[in-house]
Amino acid sequence: MMKWLLALAGALALAACGENSSGELVEAVDPNGDDGSTTREQGIQVDVRYETLDNGLRVVMSRDTSVPTATVAVYYGVGFRVEPQGRTGFAHLFEHLMFEGSENLPGGTMTNLIYNAGGVQNGSTRYDFTNYFEVVPNNALEAIIWAEADRMARPIIDQENLDAQRGVVRNEVFVNVINQPYGGWIWIDLPMLANENWHNAHNFYGDLADLDAASLEDVQSFFDTYYSVNNAVIAVVGDIEYDETMAWIVEHFGTIEPGPALPPLDISEPRQTEEKFGTIDDPLAPQPALGFAYHMPERGSPEYYAMAVLDQLLVQGDDSLLNQRLINEEGYASGVFGGINLLGNMYNYNGPMLWSVGMIHDAQYDRDTIMATVDEVIEQLRTEEITQEQLDRSITKLRSQFYGIVDSGTRFGLIDLLASFALFDDDPSRINRIEAGFDQVTPELVLATAQEYLRPTNRSVLVVRPVEDDADETETE
Amino acid sequence: MMKTLFFTMAASAALLASPAVLAQSPQPAIGEPEPFELPDTQSFRLDNGIDVTFIPFGLAPKANIQVHVRAGNLDDGDMTWLADLTGAMIEEGSAGRPSDEIALEAASMGGDLNVGVGLHTTTFSTNVLAEFGPQAVGLLADMIRRPDFPESELERVRRNLIRNVSVSRSQPGPVANEAYAELLYGTDHPYGHTLPTTEELESYTLDDIRRFYDANYSAQRTRIYVAGRFDQAAMESAIRDAFGDWPEGAADEAVAVAPNPGPVMQLIDRPGAPQSTLRVGFDAVGPDHADYPALVVMNAILGGSFTSRLTSNLREEHGYTYSPGSGITTRPGAGGYWTFNADVTTSVTGAALAETFGEIARLQIEPIGAEEGDGMRTWLSGLFILQNASTGGLIGQVAYRDLYGLPDDYLDTYVTNILSVTNEDITRVANTYLDTDEVILVIVGDLEQIEDQVTALPQLEDVPMAGE
Repeated sequence: MMKWLLALAGALALAACGENSSGELVEAVDPNGDDGSTTREQGIQVDVRYETLDNGLRVVMSRDTSVPTATVAVYYGVGFRVEPQGRTGFAHLFEHLMFEGSENLPGGTMTNLIYNAGGVQNGSTRYDFTNYFEVVPNNALEAIIWAEADRMARPIIDQENLDAQRGVVRNEVFVNVINQPYGGWIWIDLPMLANENWHNAHNFYGDLADLDAASLEDVQSFFDTYYSVNNAVIAVVGDIEYDETMAWIVEHFGTIEPGPALPPLDISEPRQTEEKFGTIDDPLAPQPALGFAYHMPERGSPEYYAMAVLDQLLVQGDDSLLNQRLINEEGYASGVFGGINLLGNMYNYNGPMLWSVGMIHDAQYDRDTIMATVDEVIEQLRTEEITQEQLDRSITKLRSQFYGIVDSGTRFGLIDLLASFALFDDDPSRINRIEAGFDQVTPELVLATAQEYLRPTNRSVLVVRPVEDDADETETE
Repeated sequence: MMKTLFFTMAASAALLASPAVLAQSPQPAIGEPEPFELPDTQSFRLDNGIDVTFIPFGLAPKANIQVHVRAGNLDDGDMTWLADLTGAMIEEGSAGRPSDEIALEAASMGGDLNVGVGLHTTTFSTNVLAEFGPQAVGLLADMIRRPDFPESELERVRRNLIRNVSVSRSQPGPVANEAYAELLYGTDHPYGHTLPTTEELESYTLDDIRRFYDANYSAQRTRIYVAGRFDQAAMESAIRDAFGDWPEGAADEAVAVAPNPGPVMQLIDRPGAPQSTLRVGFDAVGPDHADYPALVVMNAILGGSFTSRLTSNLREEHGYTYSPGSGITTRPGAGGYWTFNADVTTSVTGAALAETFGEIARLQIEPIGAEEGDGMRTWLSGLFILQNASTGGLIGQVAYRDLYGLPDDYLDTYVTNILSVTNEDITRVANTYLDTDEVILVIVGDLEQIEDQVTALPQLEDVPMAGE
């Protein structure tokens, strides 16, 4: 059921596969010590080097010698949100085009370069960035830096490439959305319902008609506007030498001319003041589904960290309140899932965001029945402070989850956070202050945050209705 | 057992030849790779037969603890998913404590308790902050050794499984997989039944679950793996305390079977589907066979990598599909099968199959170029590092070796074995195992649109429909 999440969140799915070493760990207490304490202070301290070249390219590096590989990622400040009206799905289509190679590495030879060196690569498009990333044995690092520079400076944008990739993208939409039950409800339809600003509220996988209408001129203009060196970050993490790596980046990227300033873009969302409801019909779905979402506090604010605690408390893990109540006690569904930024994680976005929850449930329970139970759980958090024990457990889970993201075998999780914080905040060392962000949360702050952000009037509720063969398939709300 | 792996990169010289068009600067050389060491592991056996392996790895203070019990769908008999229902009921409470209390304890250690039921093994796992490792072992032992099987929860758990199966049956992938497994393994073996019917799930009783548990859960069928950065002495002591007095129990008697060869095909109607979901397969061999390394490299060249021929052809050249792929599925001591899978645009279903058979034929006839063969061997060597660069990955690799009874040095010699596969070996195994006269084919799609395209293919002329 979570297949679509894995299919889309490629980097994060990989990051979630396991734990590994990266970054230096600083601990106040030796975990192998025998003092028996269970309240020791510990945390991750990642060594971060950060510079900006004269042409505006932001460069982040972090050295970790545990495995002789190097992970490279180039993040461009172009995501779904910047797409112009009538050009939905453009950011993602462009990701595919840029994957096809460049003048020195045409027709799949860039992919061959990476794989033949013993590496793997991927790319993804999200709300606020498009990224291209690879992990290779570190002897191939300079060649990969050279190849990423060629992709940035000299991509191949031609009609043949555009036509083939349009076909691939159509098939991607088919396999992930159109030929699947529950294909896009919670990560496409629910944000479209909850958001007011078109930039946050359009179908970012793309209407097929918009994709078909994309011309070569549109594509070239999109590239010229957004794929500039001064709208990009390169990050290199792994078993590397800092000076040598920096010299390679300067040599291969340093001569790329900066592009024009980005066009102004307003992605702000108004404060929601009335609860919203929507229904979509899904002819492939055997059972109804229900999703709901609340607008998040601003990223990085104290309330944002308190929402992260509320997310843990409400929906993350078997112990969470909604899992216990909706699944174990009421038996509405087999499971409930959710989180902050379902197409990534709570760290890798930059703008308005939703905290969302969803479940596929039995037809005998309707929306109002389920939401009444949800309200009982949530209203308690809006009227009473949580206990210190609940807070501690939530922060332990957040810390464990954060280590899981930062500490993956491919280092894709770590590089994603470093590149995101460089791109959004010009401050990749922010990664070393995340745990302090959790630790500042108090029961009082959780209560105040729940009162403002878990208001029913800050919420949108979406029903997915299975359609019988003889039923009317038009939308009713 | 510490071994060092060196990659002999004969490939690197060939990689330097890149096109010299519009070169801003030539491609930098790729030098010799650094050696990669698998982490040193420590193993010991408890008196009751439980094998324990520690894999110290990484810098994060976490312990990834997995208990693998050899009880899975292979042991279902004719009660499909009884293993799943048993696993789900074990999560409902143990040692007199309800599931919510157990979940809270696990969460306070920074982990979730996960139960995963597979064909051969049910895996109980948690990934906790290392300081809680010994405590987590106790919690896992309670689950595995002292499940309460509360009758009050059975109907809800049963409904969860019924709901999950109904969602699977609405997705083209699981529908194709179910039919494909039945063609491979027939209707008389658990391997041939991937999904139960609602009626089957409704018929299982608490007595069935208890019987399954008693017959299949025992010390003799259990292995424990811990990977991460943790206190080994404390962990060993916790494991001995928690599992040491579990009776040895009965031995594993379920028998793995090899797949049936084709030719056979099955077309399943999904009216209006914009894509056809394809499974194209052949019976093959497993990791205990001398041809296996060659089969692994052959798979990578044909469809098992992003640079493979089928990906280049169907996706990059033609835009027929988004995510084509191929792989080898193995069974302990009973061979395995190779499968190509893809979801292709409905209107080009026949064309995509023709290209697929064409690529198989090309691999069987044309010699493989030096650069392609060297590149794939190097890629698989690099991939081996990535597969072993996480605690979960390391446990997976070691557990696979153990389940299949492979030699202790299987992982240490893996890269050497891959690098010694010759291009002639690849051509040979493509001919041996991808015999199109024995193809097994499943298509889930809009038959009104695709049936003529498919049956017109000359390669399928003599392939009978399933059941005929």
